[in-house]
Amino acid sequence: MVDPRIYEMFREIGRDLFTSNMISSHGGNLSIRLGDRVVIKRRGAMLGNLKPLDLIETRLDKNDSGVALASTELLVHRTVYLNTPALAIVHCHPRTAIAFSLSRDELVPIDNEASYLLKKIPVVTEEFASGTPAMANKVANALKNYKIIMLRGHGSFATGQTLDEAFHWSSTLEESCQIELATKIINEPFIEYRGMSESYNKF
Amino acid sequence: MNGWNGKILEIDLATQTYKTYPLDMEMAYLFIGGRGLGARLLWDLVGPEVDPLAPENVLIFTNGPLTATGYQTSNRFSVTTKSPLTGTVLDANSGGFWGMQFKKTGYDVLIVRGKAQNPVWIEIKDSVVAFHDASDLWGMRVFALTEKLGQNNNKRNVLCIGPAGENLSRIAAIMNDRERAMARGGPGAVMGSKNLKAIVVEGSGRPEIDDKERFKFLLYETRKLLAASPLTSQALPEFGTVVLMNIMNNIGALATRNHQQTQFEGAEAISGEELTEKYLVKNAACWACPIGCTRISKTEKVEGEGPEFETTWAFGAQCGVDDLPAIIEVNSICNDLGLDTISAGSTIACAMELSEKGYLDSDLRFGRADLLARCVEDMAYRRDLGADMADGSLRMATKFGHPELSMSAKGMEFPAYDPRGMQGQGLLYATSNRGGCHMRGNMVGLEVLGLPKLIDRFQVQGKSSFVILNQNSNAAIDSLVVCKFTNMGVADEYFARVLSAVTGIQYATSEMIKVGERVWNLERLYNIREGFTRKDDTLPARLLTEAPVDGPSKGWVVQLEPMLKEYYRSRGWDENGVPKKQKLEELGLTNLM
Amino acid sequence: MEIMPIIKLYANLRKLAGTKEVSIPGASLEAVLSELVKRSPALERILLENGHIRPHVIITKNGHPTTDMNAPVIEEDEIAIFPPITGG
Repeated sequence: MVDPRIYEMFREIGRDLFTSNMISSHGGNLSIRLGDRVVIKRRGAMLGNLKPLDLIETRLDKNDSGVALASTELLVHRTVYLNTPALAIVHCHPRTAIAFSLSRDELVPIDNEASYLLKKIPVVTEEFASGTPAMANKVANALKNYKIIMLRGHGSFATGQTLDEAFHWSSTLEESCQIELATKIINEPFIEYRGMSESYNKF
Repeated sequence: MNGWNGKILEIDLATQTYKTYPLDMEMAYLFIGGRGLGARLLWDLVGPEVDPLAPENVLIFTNGPLTATGYQTSNRFSVTTKSPLTGTVLDANSGGFWGMQFKKTGYDVLIVRGKAQNPVWIEIKDSVVAFHDASDLWGMRVFALTEKLGQNNNKRNVLCIGPAGENLSRIAAIMNDRERAMARGGPGAVMGSKNLKAIVVEGSGRPEIDDKERFKFLLYETRKLLAASPLTSQALPEFGTVVLMNIMNNIGALATRNHQQTQFEGAEAISGEELTEKYLVKNAACWACPIGCTRISKTEKVEGEGPEFETTWAFGAQCGVDDLPAIIEVNSICNDLGLDTISAGSTIACAMELSEKGYLDSDLRFGRADLLARCVEDMAYRRDLGADMADGSLRMATKFGHPELSMSAKGMEFPAYDPRGMQGQGLLYATSNRGGCHMRGNMVGLEVLGLPKLIDRFQVQGKSSFVILNQNSNAAIDSLVVCKFTNMGVADEYFARVLSAVTGIQYATSEMIKVGERVWNLERLYNIREGFTRKDDTLPARLLTEAPVDGPSKGWVVQLEPMLKEYYRSRGWDENGVPKKQKLEELGLTNLM
Repeated sequence: MEIMPIIKLYANLRKLAGTKEVSIPGASLEAVLSELVKRSPALERILLENGHIRPHVIITKNGHPTTDMNAPVIEEDEIAIFPPITGG
């Protein structure tokens, strides 16, 4: 069983992801890197209601005991850790962001908070999206230069030094997309309030 | 290729000649500049057979591709050498103006080799290098010398040593722009051993920027972020670095009386709040810095820059001294003598403990603020006990039979953070390539201040990940070179983008951090070549076995062994701390073995 | 009896509150903080954002940094509050 402090962190972020509508009952995933090991959610566990035994600890570079129970997305998480400085990953299904990812190759925020924090979120496409090496490489590659990215029609992958940080990017993204959606409904001309925002898409 | 000047200036003091040659751009790509480039060049130039104070040791001054571009805090530069204090690879960096001016002379690197027969000083005006006799300057203190050689912040900048460097104190600093210091590890002694008193630079060039539009955008965004962050727009300008005194004391991680305690009853009297209220005259800033953390403080006796947190701690809590004016004064004297304030303060504290325990016959006692000024003068001139203190606490404590009372790693004195209250900091100190220091990485952000997010300071499992990321990231930032305080408001991803915009080479954020990892492993290889082994990755017994008896860190010692094992594995090193072949291949370092 | 823990203030909080130390009633960190801000409204913009603790404000209870605002507080507890700070 993992350190109770680590479990508590997973439990809190998992609960918050669920209550903030960023995942369905069994959707999404969390992991952290502990040195040369990874802690990740067990296959089929509910993030909104994690129990201590729902967390699996395994090696970063290869399988060892317990790995059969790990999430099918373990490969993606491992590949990200081996290719970026990430120490935590939050994968969730932010609904509005997913909706926008269906028609755009990148999401460029228009609200203040996400403009500060994210600037631009690339969208990547993968036909065979669940835990394949192709998907793992694509996601890891995009995360080399961006702390949060969207997998088209599927969800977001965010990295950070802690789960808290990666969750921060995730909720900022969804909030930003909800704001943009609201502007679509209001449907009035946008008044630019930021300097040099025309450069955001080059970030 | 933009950003870099693409040129190395190499000076031989023995013959008083110089030559210039192109910078190897493949090397520049892999190591960027500053600390990374310095370490790579040192690898080729100085092998294990060379004594740090022998003429065969070199001083390598480097700037980086961002230096002098006008990007926020692009004023910094590095000196790389083999350390006379630790025997390890050493990089020390500094801000101010000199680094910017040096870049404008048209060089990325200045290599100083050999030893002059008589004291000299060097003047570099763009491509013209002049050697001047310094016989009449030898013996001069830093402030007077800096003025005499024509210091003029934006036009002409002076770098020099004071009496401490001349007298080969192993904790002597190289000073620039009067009161900025490349302090740690004794680079001033290397300069002194070469009979080199000063290097003055005047430049008229400007680095080329590859993508000016993108650069302008990043400059704008960085300005915005630094203005929005309460750290860079309020905390640092208003209180300076000394603001950490009270928090470190509050959590029981303020090393006190040579690490005999972890809380100091006099902390409030030497805090940033007290300094600001009673002694602060105004702020100052390095070139192209919007933060301005530098204090100009004044007492009845002195007015000048500082003191910084570590200095205030070293002469304060570590020596049991709560007399802030005395600390401000001894800081100023150290700057004038060219001494590292951390090592000087901690060495005095060590002598105080040796004296109190009867191992050393002297009048030094904890709390004796009145003796601080005399101690640092004695160190710089090697008078009386100063002759021993001049070589740092480990050599001194060893001479008096109690090396365990030196609060150092690999012979370099620790800064203020007592690692018994910050487990990650303990691992950092033990594994730091230049010894016990807080600039190869600092866990105070994660373990105490919640930057970017708070983690449990006593947790051991998984700590190596944070330490490694911190070390790699700092090595990358030290190679750009920019100020680590910029990083408080601006994330690494901005640095990678600025580096790309300036050089035209696209560095993804993770590739920039990878440069840091490459630098870290190269430094490790250097130390291994010098004979350092796993047993050197350790801490004084006090921190490993003597738990504080009270305060919030009560009962804790550094749990080094499990953290170190995890650290080696996560680094891709074997159980003896030697980088594995696979790791070296991944980093492109196999050609060095 | 009302619980009155001691709150120590640091850096610019002192100037804004006009004191270094106060005793504030409250049985949780959250309660203590909201009462503190009520008494010294000048602290609000430094400490709170939409009713929550601002990022990087540091709160320690008996010398232990915490982010758990629901943590209970007893009479003997010493709470220290720092605005966002850094250094080195």
